[in-house]
Amino acid sequence: MPSSFLDRENTVAPAGYNRFLVPPAALAVHLSIGQAYAFSTFNLPLTKLIGITHSAPSDWKLTDVGWTFSIAIAILGLSAAIFGRWVERVGPRKSMFAAALCFGGGFIVAAVGIHFHQLWLLYLGYGVLGGCGLGIGYISPVSTLIKWFPDRPGMATGMAIMGFGGGALIAAPLSLLLMDHFKTPTSTGVLETFVTMGVIYFMYMMIGVIAVRVPAANWKPAGWVPPVKPQRLVTTANVAVDNAWRTPQFWLLWGVLCMNVTAGIGVLGQASPMIQEIFSGRVTPTAAAGFVGLLSLFNMGGRFFWATISDYLGRRNTYMVFFLLGILLYSAVPTLGHLGHIGLFVAAFAVILSMYGGGFATIPAYLRDIFGTMNVGAIHGRLLTAWSVAGVLGPVLVNYIRQFQIDHGVAKAQAYSITMYIMCGLLFVGFLCNLAMRPVDERYHYRAPTPAK
Amino acid sequence: MKFRLIVLWLVVGIPLLWGVSKTLQNALKLFG
Repeated sequence: MPSSFLDRENTVAPAGYNRFLVPPAALAVHLSIGQAYAFSTFNLPLTKLIGITHSAPSDWKLTDVGWTFSIAIAILGLSAAIFGRWVERVGPRKSMFAAALCFGGGFIVAAVGIHFHQLWLLYLGYGVLGGCGLGIGYISPVSTLIKWFPDRPGMATGMAIMGFGGGALIAAPLSLLLMDHFKTPTSTGVLETFVTMGVIYFMYMMIGVIAVRVPAANWKPAGWVPPVKPQRLVTTANVAVDNAWRTPQFWLLWGVLCMNVTAGIGVLGQASPMIQEIFSGRVTPTAAAGFVGLLSLFNMGGRFFWATISDYLGRRNTYMVFFLLGILLYSAVPTLGHLGHIGLFVAAFAVILSMYGGGFATIPAYLRDIFGTMNVGAIHGRLLTAWSVAGVLGPVLVNYIRQFQIDHGVAKAQAYSITMYIMCGLLFVGFLCNLAMRPVDERYHYRAPTPAK
Repeated sequence: MKFRLIVLWLVVGIPLLWGVSKTLQNALKLFG
């Protein structure tokens, strides 16, 4: 079969290639797929497709539309787990191209669903097809970056995964701008916005497809010497993906990620009503929107900051900080609320959300330390199922516990206290998982097959 | 190579800075 532009062998970088050309290629993909976090900007307009200015009886309900995001995140985790090995085999260019087709195509299929007012097509387009684009796109540059930056893997993957946080910051104003531009007295402009965004994101992701390169075999950064002194939790061996998930280390890291994400994601989804209810009468809806924006900035910044710090602090120590500082801050939040300290309350959540983002960004380097570089992308893909679980668990915990308390006569301002203490409990479980981390048993290490005599 | 490096970083940096500035404008409303 003739080799194509997308094949791994055509992406090998020539000698003297500047490795700092690779992070922007990864960022082009992550900045695009990060749009998913801003999907809520479409929620209300999608419920007014027929009524235009108001929701008509035949319009979709908000709860129905809300499922689109949940499906996309669930499919993200599943597709990353299923396609991880394929991504590892075909290399970053072909997998980024597949991600671009799925993500851009997902918008177009969803637009067809909007045109014919078929909810299942919206789920299939944005949720399933787009979700596959999210999963494949999320993991496609990770192992490449780790191979380009063996000296600073945390910083390199942190930079890309920061893009996923940053993508929402671009997509939210862009969606509003486009909907405003396409809006007419007979249309909400969502259909045209979906088509435009599908095309824009496909083209933007293609920049990553064209620019990405893999290092040549045995390439090392100039002047870099791998550490001679072995570090206890940084392996020089490799573990194959099929063995990795049989090790306790995989499930401990799964628990670490799941607990860290659960604690942050529930708060992120409820941030606006939470601050308004805790500081009733003192925080307006506009100021609450500002609070959400601030959290998004810290979520994004934390990804780069904490992942970079982890190169110096060590991966396990960085997660220790996340869990211990998280417990301290979550347990302080109810008191800060009672005392009416808005500034300290906001600061506490800003740090919490920076650690939420940091948890996502540091995990690929932690996986590399424990399982080696050989299959790190595929192992990362399987670990992302923890995100899917946390995506359901976090919001359910925050929303249902709040509602349960309000139903039992607790004032709205106090209804979040128990939730915060439950978050502390979850973080403590994550702390224990992290504490139990040990190097992988040698029997799981990869050994190249010996040639037959 | 240097030109390509600058162009690529601008291509990802400009939209990101635009998004950050828009979000920051929104975030400042918290203190307004």
